[in-house]
Amino acid sequence: MIRLAFRNLFQNKVRLVISVGGVALALLLILSLDAIFTGVERQVTAYIEYSGADIWVSQADVRNMHMASSSLPDSVARKVKFVPGVASVSPILYLTNNVVAGDERNLAYIIGLPENTELGGPWDISSGRSLPAEGEAIINRGVAEKSGIALGDEVEILGDEFKVTGFSEGTASLVNSVAFISMKDFEEMRGSYDTISFLLVKVSDGESPEAVAARIQTQVRDVTAQTRNDFAAQERQVIKDMSTDVITIMNLIGFLIGLAVMALTVYTSTLSRRREYGMLKALGARNTDLYLTVLAQAILSVILGFLFGLALTLLLTIVIPIFGSNLVLEVSRISLLKVGSVSLVIAAISAMLPIRQIAGLDPAMVFRGR
Amino acid sequence: MTNSSSQDETLQIAHVTKRYGSGSTEVTAVHDVSLTVSPGEIILIMGPSGSGKTTLLSMLGALLKPTEGAIQLNGTIISALAENRLPDIRLKQFGFIFQDFNLLSALTALENVAIVSELAGFKSGEARRKAASLLTELGLGERLNFLPEKLSGGEKQRVAIARALINDPALILADEPTANLDSKIGHEIMRLLRRIAKEQGRSVVIVSHDQRIKDIADRVLWLEDGEFKETVTMAIDPVCGMSVEREKAVSAEWEGEIFYFCARGCRDEFLNDPQKFLLTASQESSKKI
Repeated sequence: MIRLAFRNLFQNKVRLVISVGGVALALLLILSLDAIFTGVERQVTAYIEYSGADIWVSQADVRNMHMASSSLPDSVARKVKFVPGVASVSPILYLTNNVVAGDERNLAYIIGLPENTELGGPWDISSGRSLPAEGEAIINRGVAEKSGIALGDEVEILGDEFKVTGFSEGTASLVNSVAFISMKDFEEMRGSYDTISFLLVKVSDGESPEAVAARIQTQVRDVTAQTRNDFAAQERQVIKDMSTDVITIMNLIGFLIGLAVMALTVYTSTLSRRREYGMLKALGARNTDLYLTVLAQAILSVILGFLFGLALTLLLTIVIPIFGSNLVLEVSRISLLKVGSVSLVIAAISAMLPIRQIAGLDPAMVFRGR
Repeated sequence: MTNSSSQDETLQIAHVTKRYGSGSTEVTAVHDVSLTVSPGEIILIMGPSGSGKTTLLSMLGALLKPTEGAIQLNGTIISALAENRLPDIRLKQFGFIFQDFNLLSALTALENVAIVSELAGFKSGEARRKAASLLTELGLGERLNFLPEKLSGGEKQRVAIARALINDPALILADEPTANLDSKIGHEIMRLLRRIAKEQGRSVVIVSHDQRIKDIADRVLWLEDGEFKETVTMAIDPVCGMSVEREKAVSAEWEGEIFYFCARGCRDEFLNDPQKFLLTASQESSKKI
């Protein structure tokens, strides 16, 4: 009966293209949206992931960077340094502001770095200096290209002028980029010299970041110490929380479009073969044999739709960056699992109506075209 | 559910009635019909439109339950069986041949036949081997992988016959099997069906309007207003080969056997030298088979 389902599916090419194409586009909507958000999550947490820190220490109860601020007294650095298992510490200052070049304003995480720091600086420099000196800024190359900024040009950050001395890669997302200035400039512009935003901690060889973070948490008061992975996970969660409604609505729309297309095509396909199914019933096919045929047809259609939708999404992941967009699409395993499950639900639901139709078929219809 | 006294008959219908609707809208489609079909016997049921032929055929094929009476197939009263047992009976005990061939348009000739065997529980490979063998026997060895749309009407009906035979049924039910065929092909198909019935001892019940196929039947029944009005037993004139109705034909007895003729001339010719015609009839008969 699987062969029959397969042949039925491929016999009418127009119907096949409509059903597979329709489902593919609906699943593309879900897949690409997931891929966009996965890409955004990856981009947003890129600074945390590439900071070189094993542990992030922040103000008590501050668990992420995005849309949050953290303020710690600089004495925390000394206290943390004495915690067993800590190899080195490096403070950073952080604010969300704009990199302004002429009329162009680009939202950015502004990071203030101490001189010669080993943690928290740009990790991939395409040209120029790798750490900013006083009066200097390192900005994202894509943002610079978009705003027409060359090395040596000036940009405005936190209301002051900075000379761009380096371009970094991988520091821009759909939401914002990361710009690096010296800690001294940051402190002067803020007018505060004895506080830091975060403390980046490197653990000694052989120490587990989890154990050291727990030690910091118990030995240093009024701080939150998290491993890099936990801190990045918190950051991703913020993005998720902010976008859950949008994703849910778009997923629902994609699901409903896919379901409508599939239900309609499976239904019309079954309707057009009503007599054939009646004949099979007359010959002795059981209802379950026929249900399986319809279900197999629907499942085959959504599998093809899923593969086609996935191919289109993967194509988008290649094509979009070519056009210089900061948008990065990343297809995750969880997304594949989710869309795969959604596809199967679509197949199962869309087969229900035709199955009911088959259940009610009178096999005696085969005589005299009744 | 079994009756040992009826083991000699493939099919036995006893006082079968089918009514549709109730009260003032009640319609009796078949009324108190009885019929016995022996193994290898070919029954042709004829009658005007609306006479109840389709209803009767549906009941014979276990597609419809009678309101009254019993239908017994090889000793099993199928009209009393639970609904969920009927598909298996239809699959293994009946072969169906339809007016419109009713082949699955997406499957090849081979697959159309094999699928019925697969439904009966045979593995795909074995089902395909059986189907190929049957189709080759029926002259379609070169058409195994053709889709129905590429086959002629006669070829389609041969595929339908192969499909009807693949599960080795006791009874073949044919609904207007020549309606969509020209007269030559229609006759060929009917002769093929007769050959199968006689060689393999399968009973065949045909419902048709086609008067030209009367000569392949052993009995012709006339159904009108849901009742059998007339039964005609057919015989072959040994002299001219014409199919004649026994009840209306001229007859003669020779060596204890009764022979039927289309006219006196044939009878006289036969009586002058019976051996000559019996030998010829026997040769003709063996040629047909």
